[in-house]
Order: sequence, then C-alpha cells, then structure tokens
Amino acid sequence: MPDTVSPPAAELAHIQVAGLTRRFGPKVALHPIDLEIGSGITGLLGPNGSGKSTLMRILVGLVRPDAGTATVAGVRLAGDGTAVRKKVAYMPGEMHLYGELTGAQHLDWLLRGRGRQARRRAREGAEALELPLDRKVRGYSHGMKRQLCFAAAMAPDVPVRILDEPTDGLDPSRRSKFLEQLTRDAASGVSILLSSHHFGEVDRACDRLIFMSEGELVADETASSVADRARRVAHLSWSCDIDREAVERALVSHGVQLLHSGDKEVSLLLESPDPRPFLSRLAAAPEIDAPQTIEYGRISLQEFYRDLYGVEGC
Amino acid sequence: MRRELRQYAIFALGFFVVLEAMLAIAIRWWPSFAENVGSLKNLSRPIPMLTEMIDLIEARGVGAYVAAQHFFKGCNTLGVAAAVLFAYSAIAGEAHRGTMEQWLARPVSRTRLLTERYLLGFAACALPILLTSATAPFLLARVEIEGVAQTMELSDLMRGAVHESLFLGTIYSLTFLLSAVGSEPLKIAFIMMFASIFEFAIYMVETITHYSVFRLADIETFDQINVSDALSMRAILGFVVFSIVCYLVALRAFARRVP
Repeated sequence: MPDTVSPPAAELAHIQVAGLTRRFGPKVALHPIDLEIGSGITGLLGPNGSGKSTLMRILVGLVRPDAGTATVAGVRLAGDGTAVRKKVAYMPGEMHLYGELTGAQHLDWLLRGRGRQARRRAREGAEALELPLDRKVRGYSHGMKRQLCFAAAMAPDVPVRILDEPTDGLDPSRRSKFLEQLTRDAASGVSILLSSHHFGEVDRACDRLIFMSEGELVADETASSVADRARRVAHLSWSCDIDREAVERALVSHGVQLLHSGDKEVSLLLESPDPRPFLSRLAAAPEIDAPQTIEYGRISLQEFYRDLYGVEGC
Repeated sequence: MRRELRQYAIFALGFFVVLEAMLAIAIRWWPSFAENVGSLKNLSRPIPMLTEMIDLIEARGVGAYVAAQHFFKGCNTLGVAAAVLFAYSAIAGEAHRGTMEQWLARPVSRTRLLTERYLLGFAACALPILLTSATAPFLLARVEIEGVAQTMELSDLMRGAVHESLFLGTIYSLTFLLSAVGSEPLKIAFIMMFASIFEFAIYMVETITHYSVFRLADIETFDQINVSDALSMRAILGFVVFSIVCYLVALRAFARRVP
C-alpha cells in the first residue's frame, strides 16, 4: 500500500475499526478491515459493490459485522447501534422517502431523537437549498430528495457524519455547494466520512482518500500524496500495437514503474513530476516507435486508480 | 411516531365506522330476525353449523344474537381483514418501499421502533372492537319487541370484546411476525387472508369444524362467556402467550435484519 497515511493518535480518531468483516451468503462483502479516521473529510472511494456502503452501514449499526470491532465518536459499536447513531449523522445512499409527507414533515421524521435545534437547523438548511418544504415529497425530483436528506444529515450537532454518496444525481453547482458546506463543517472539527464513485469531486474536497475494491482497502492516502502521484503519471499511446516487453525493458527502470499496459498504450509512474529525464530516455530508445500521444501531470483520479489497481467502472 | 400514529388512527377509525354500521344494522334487524327465526332455521338446514347457531340464538335471545352478528360475523370477518391490514406491511412495507434504511438510521432503537408499531397496530385492531361493543346497549335500547326494550349487560359485551380482541390479536401477531421477517407485503397479506378464509370455510363444514381456529371465537364460546359471567382464562392465556411469542420472535428477527 503506497504512501499510507500514518494512523492518527488513537485519542484523535473519530472512527476506529479493527478486523471488521462481513459476509452476505457466499459473498464476502468486507474482508478484515483495520482503519482509523480522524477529523476532516475522508473520502471512501471505489466502484459499486466494493464494500463502501457495507462499511458505512456497519459503522452506524445498520448491519452487524460477522467479526471485528468498531468505535465511532468514542462509542463502541454494540447491539443495534443506537448509542452510536446518537453521535453520528448518517445519510444513506439509497433515496426512498414517504411520498405522502411534506418536506417539513419528512425532516421532522428523519430527525426523530435529535432535538428541536437540529430540526430548526434542518429547516434552515433546506430553505437555503430552496426546497419547497410545504410540498409533498412525492412531487420532489431525485435531486430534491437528496438535498432534503442532506439538510437532515447536516443538521444534528454530532462529531461524526457518515454520508453515502451524498452528491449522487446532483447537478455540478449543487455538488459544489454540498462540498463547500462539508468543508465548512469539517473545519469546525467534525469528522466526515464520505463515499463516492465520482472521483472528480471528492479529490477536491477530501483531506484523505481511502480506496476500496472487492471488500478490501487497497489504498489509504492523503489527498496531497494522491495529487503528487497523479502528477507523476504518464500515459503513452501508439497508433499500432506495441511490443510491450520492449517498452518495459526500455522505460521501466530508474524509478519508473509500470502501472498499466495495453496493446497500444502504457501508463507509467515517473520518478519525479519533472518528465524531462524520462522523455530523454524515451527519445534515446530506438526499439520503441514514437508514441502518438504523451500525457502527463493531468491524470484524473479515476484514471489514476484504474491504472494502479485495474478497477474500472468508478 | 406521529406519522405512524396518524396512519393507524385513520385505519382504526375506518374499522370502527364499518363495524359500528354493521352492528347498528344487525341490531335494528333483530326484531325481524326474532319474528322469523323459524323460517330462518328452515332455510339454514343445508348448513348444520348455521342451524346450530340459530338454535342457540332462539334459546338465548338477544345476547346470543349480538354475539353471532357482532363478534362472530362482524369481528371475525372484517376483524381478520383489519388485523392482516394493520400488520402485513408494518415492517415488510418499509423493505418493499426501500424506506427501511432511513427508518432504522435514526437514533432510535430497533426494539422501540418495532414495539411502537406492534402496539399501535394491536390497539388499532382492538379499540374499535371494544368501542363498538360498548355502544351495543345504547343501540339495543332503541329496539323493542312487543313493546319491551331490548337490553344487554355492558360487562357481558366487554368480556366478549376482550376475548375477540385477543383472538384477533393472535392473527395480527402472526401477520406481524411474517412482516418482520419478510420483504413482500402483498405476499404476506395473501397468505394470511387465504389461510383465514380457508379456516372460516372449514368452520362451516360439520365434520371438520373442530380444526378451525374460529372455534375459539364462535357463538358457543361467547355464549359460554355470557353464561359463566367470566372470561375463559385458558383461551385468554393461550391468545396472550401466542401473541407474545410472535412478538418476541419478530423482535429477534428484526434486531438482525439487514435494511
């Protein structure tokens, strides 16, 4: 696991997970996972079915783990997780609401057990998002429903928020608003665990990125280390099939790592953000045809993880 | 909680109104029934179970008539439908609609959520039976046979109502249990309605009538309660234990349920 974040001191960790495992029938949804998350925004990334939602559901007591322990906001997860949910605001990924309730009634329903202040803040938040709270929820669009749930999830005064794909289905301007609000919230000391398969947005908002695939943590990095590594990725493509072995022999050395290779392309992790030494070596390799394109320094997070772990569909 | 309370209150009100209307019509028809009881007996000959009921009404009078019309016919038919209606989607409906995760994600324990729903549904099932039974003496006071006002003791009616409520409570509790473990409310409703209709049908067949659960809440049962001036503690205990077991199994299943 490259550039792994050193775990924060235990007393600062808002979420501590040790050996957490969960199976659904024959499918292993979560392999044993150890994790510590402190304050700030932590992005939980991965394709659909990678175990993000299962991990989040376990952390709020909605799903019981088969093994392992979890402590959230200082509360050890036990029983049906009510004690944990008092300290955590959770926004599920799937948006199904009661159509017969108005937006305002729904906020009250979502915030049962949270107190009057939270309900007031939720209404204010929903009004700021220009939601028609007196209208029945069955008339809401998908985006409006998500905003309503977001307003409810942001209202309680809790140390931890766990948000499962909160920006899914929203237009870019709403996404930006959400992320701004999350950034402000995190700045006040709240720990936010945010899942997404929209890589473009989370790398902007998160302090730390955890990547999951097939129920396992495959990367745990600070956003800056990811950005630094992404700047060192070079993509080379050719118009015809290449001799992969020849390319690897000529280019993969002196700190250059091969991330991904195809019939007509290779992705490489360079030793430094300065591509000139690499380009010189490329130019000096007569056994390699001149590439059609060379890209470096502007690789998206999605491409980066695809190159690193071969996971598509994010 | 407010949402659930409103929903069950509407269901209970509807159940009460229909049950009360059925009771009022039945009581208003009592003089005519009493006058034509001989003809009715002849008409019921092909169904011996029905003849037995009419014989009992003829022998015991208005008390048996109200028990037959209100408890056996009204509550057992409409009440079973109400018990199933109040329970079939209590939990499974949330799974089917996709709202279960939101419902469980709030800082409220599962035990509390389940118990609230169970008790609200139980109350919605039982209260209309108790209330409509309490109105029977007032309705009877407006009916006369040969200038004599018809009367019934409220205590007799309330004992019958308690017995009937707890009997329907077992059907409600079983449906609730199925709802707590299932995710397809319509399938649960169909299973329970089919089973209830089947049980009611075999009640009417003389040779197999004793296999029907409706023997536990038929006109003879209510007659026994009236005659002895006491509830059948054996039956009551059975109903209560069955309902509690269903509730506890539902609670256990719900505690581990994945939304």
